[in-house]
Amino acid sequence: MDFKENGFMYGIAVMVIVFVLAQAFFFLIRAWRRGKEIGMSTSTLKNVVTSSALFTIAPAIAIMATVVVLSSSLGIVLPWIRLTVVGNLQYEATAAQSAMEAFKGGETAVAFGQEITDPTVFAAVAWVMTLGVIIYLILVPLFLKTVQNKVGKVTGNGDGNNKFGDIISAATFIGLIAAFIGNALVGKAATIVKNGKTEATGMGAGVMSVAVLITSVVTLLVLQKLCKKFGWEKFEPFVMPLSMFAGMGMAILLYTVLPESISLYEWRPVA
Amino acid sequence: MSKNKELGSPYIEKTHFWGRIFSVIAFIILLSVPTMITVHYDAHPTFHQIFDGFVSVALIFWTAAILEIIVYAPMLGTGASYLSFVTGNTTNLKLPCVLNAREIAKPKPGTDEDEIVSTIAVATSTIVTTIILAIGVLALTPILPKITAKGSVFAPAFNQVLPALFGALGAGYFAKHWRISFVPILTAVICLLFNGNLGTGTLIPICVVVSILGAYVMYISGFLTGGVKPENPLKKKK
Repeated sequence: MDFKENGFMYGIAVMVIVFVLAQAFFFLIRAWRRGKEIGMSTSTLKNVVTSSALFTIAPAIAIMATVVVLSSSLGIVLPWIRLTVVGNLQYEATAAQSAMEAFKGGETAVAFGQEITDPTVFAAVAWVMTLGVIIYLILVPLFLKTVQNKVGKVTGNGDGNNKFGDIISAATFIGLIAAFIGNALVGKAATIVKNGKTEATGMGAGVMSVAVLITSVVTLLVLQKLCKKFGWEKFEPFVMPLSMFAGMGMAILLYTVLPESISLYEWRPVA
Repeated sequence: MSKNKELGSPYIEKTHFWGRIFSVIAFIILLSVPTMITVHYDAHPTFHQIFDGFVSVALIFWTAAILEIIVYAPMLGTGASYLSFVTGNTTNLKLPCVLNAREIAKPKPGTDEDEIVSTIAVATSTIVTTIILAIGVLALTPILPKITAKGSVFAPAFNQVLPALFGALGAGYFAKHWRISFVPILTAVICLLFNGNLGTGTLIPICVVVSILGAYVMYISGFLTGGVKPENPLKKKK
């Protein structure tokens, strides 16, 4: 059996998953209890859970797809573990690639995309992937409190100066969202070096991304208006996830209906 | 409804305590993965083989980690930060999830309610992601490459998760705060026109800083308050 996908590796994965789930359930139950204590309604709390769960499905499937991309070199289990704890595709692929490059010129040199057959290379990759992200687990417990207090003071959340705090808080989120909107409008596809060649890992901005963006924006605005007009309070948690699915549905529709030369057209394709 | 607006309320203080404990356990578990692989397979890469790979990764990603914590932690809230930085996928999943949850529950920023909503959102998202990944790995591995493979009908949809996600999220914000939305979007577009490959890790801090500065200038000039010039909140503090 492949050493990358044997019982031992699955055993490690189970250990990691049990920890991640235990931590999440612990914080969830604690927050829920505190919410009830300060008078939040069960329906509000339930709505947050339902909407967050629905909202997570599509991105989680996309993350699953990145596990598959990484599995061509690393087997399925290590990418699974890595994307369960502090992971994302761009990072994991870069880390795996950097680790493999350290073996260049040796007997077992591999490039990202080729299967690793030497446990030593595999162990090196696991170490590099881990050490590259361990910084979060050092910085967060040490500095999170300081960072939050400093920012809280600047935005005035601590002294009741709400209007300004609310505006700065909204501006912060809008700044974050703007980066992704900009990417959907004019960005190029992210790339990784696979078998020595630069390859796009997804799609850059083009017909598809702009159509998807417009669809999800319009769907959300229309659904929100309908909810307000007809008082569909129970439907509100589904508005955001549904708008997202509508956007993704538009991608499938365009791909099915239009010729690829139009539907997959990118303004600035990766050469 | 709680009006507890103190930074570091007893609940949040306790969250820091538990968050730190879980971070230490996560640190040990994370390091135990390569350690167990090394010991079990008797596979010992040399110091240089690990260090060479590590340095090129650390230069980029350790810097990005510092920026991420400064920019995202205040947006996420305390419990959500501890959870999110342990489980990863912060920008493409956890943070959007928190924004979505806040849109639904509409808590006041900085209150215990706000903290509870963001914690529940990230905890739920973590549980769902972990379950989907587990099911996916165990059951869907043979099918998934076909679904996401180039040429599959579903492939374009998975390539467009981010525009779909941030379009849906942004719409509400842009409709409500259209005045402060122009500047950061324009900034993102201009930056990307100069360098189309600029990673979101770099672009986000730029857009966030520009957005905050833009909003601050608009606020003190009275553009956001119907022409009435409010007192400069930063000067008032001194």
